[in-house]
Amino acid sequence: MLRPTDGGLVLLRDVTVRYGRYVALEGVSGEFVPGSLTAVVGANGAGKSTLLAAIAGVVRLANGVVTCAARRRLAYLPQLAALDRDYPLTVSELITLGGWREFGAFRSPGTALRASAAAAAETVGLAGQLPRPLGEISVGELQRALFARLIVQDAAVILLDEPFAAVDAQTVSVLLGQVTRWHQEGRTVIAVLHDLDLVRARFPSTLVLARRCLAWGATEAALPAMAA
Amino acid sequence: MSLHALIVEPFETLAFMRAALVACLALALSNGAVGTLLVLRRMSLDGDVLGHAVMPGAAVGFLYAGPSPAWLSLGGLASGLAVAALAGLITGGRARRDAGLVAFYLVALSLGVVLVAWRGSNVDVMRVLFGTVLAIDQRALLQIAVASSVIVLAIAGLYRPLAVGAFDPAFLRAMGTRAPYETAFQALVVLALVASFQAFGTLLAVGPMLLPAAAARCWALGVAASMVLATGFGVIASVTGLLASYHGNLPSGPAIVLAAGLLFGVSLVAAGAQRRLTARIGRSI
Repeated sequence: MLRPTDGGLVLLRDVTVRYGRYVALEGVSGEFVPGSLTAVVGANGAGKSTLLAAIAGVVRLANGVVTCAARRRLAYLPQLAALDRDYPLTVSELITLGGWREFGAFRSPGTALRASAAAAAETVGLAGQLPRPLGEISVGELQRALFARLIVQDAAVILLDEPFAAVDAQTVSVLLGQVTRWHQEGRTVIAVLHDLDLVRARFPSTLVLARRCLAWGATEAALPAMAA
Repeated sequence: MSLHALIVEPFETLAFMRAALVACLALALSNGAVGTLLVLRRMSLDGDVLGHAVMPGAAVGFLYAGPSPAWLSLGGLASGLAVAALAGLITGGRARRDAGLVAFYLVALSLGVVLVAWRGSNVDVMRVLFGTVLAIDQRALLQIAVASSVIVLAIAGLYRPLAVGAFDPAFLRAMGTRAPYETAFQALVVLALVASFQAFGTLLAVGPMLLPAAAARCWALGVAASMVLATGFGVIASVTGLLASYHGNLPSGPAIVLAAGLLFGVSLVAAGAQRRLTARIGRSI
């Protein structure tokens, strides 16, 4: 039986990403220890989203290495804007996708998975919405559904790219509650955020980026680098 | 005119009408599935470009062997796949990609016309541009049937990764999916266009693929249901288009595409009206 924390370490060594000639991220090294809850902050274009994509293995590294023992137990939530909200999928289908590794491309999801999808929907307050198509739900509800999918994924490392942007206050509090629960369960959570007050209040560690790493450590110590 | 004379007789008496009908029905099957995925991926422009990308290769096939369906298809398949691979190399934002694709499309189309006109007649040029759905022989029919079967089976097999990849490709990649589903889909699009090419020509081949799918998409159904509806629309457009071309003495390929366009227009208006109506009923309850 895997515990949530198994393999939750993410090691970066000299991570560099280029888009053409543009250097999005340069020489970032350090580690996210298992069970840590880290906010990634920085100005627009600082490479925050790129860092998450690099850890998720979605962009190619120009240089350096990302080591994550739990690569198979890593969950990645890109920015909401990347999704087509009119896509013909129901809330229940979207959440059930979290079990992709279990059923994959060719088998169908089992009853246990369906049950855990329903439970995850309940956790994020979407219990009554399961049969609704994505086109009919609000942005906040879509983000809740994506969080439910993350819950179903049962990942050791969870990457969130601006998870609270463009969603209503009530949804933010539900989702923050879930982030805290993941942290208590010992999972490694890395979130790109803009709201520094929120970072100060809820995130023990912070990584400040400006294409390279400006500061990385306890939030109290690292966050002042943001102003500089 | 009796209903029988209107609908059944043209197909009953004329073998080429029957062959055209069977070819169109086979194409409707594969086009329903491929077109729906193209529309869902917002890749209509890609479909258009690949439709023209078939042209230079088909023209080379024509130069080599004359108007033989096998050589036209092989050449078309080769250049279609080559352009699909090249298009994958275009990086940069959406605007740059669109401009690059349009450049491909214009160059491919012109190159194809120049090549065919070099050795062939004006009739040959018209044939590769607009197709000859009423001149489908048994070998062409067999080719279309094989291509359609391969496409439908492949999409049935790869259905889930294709449908999920259209919605959230980053999720699939983060899930460690390394199989090249994207490439497989592009190859299926090219194959479907090559199958359509003989009947509809390079200019219209995308019509029977995109229009029924776009019409089905108006009705806000699930992915699989959209595919079925798109296939149904494709069948209706084929039958009405062929009959209209027979009774009205119209060019048959364009008549079928027009019928599909009509279905798209009707779907757009009717589905919109239905949505407003259900919204009003919802408010009044």
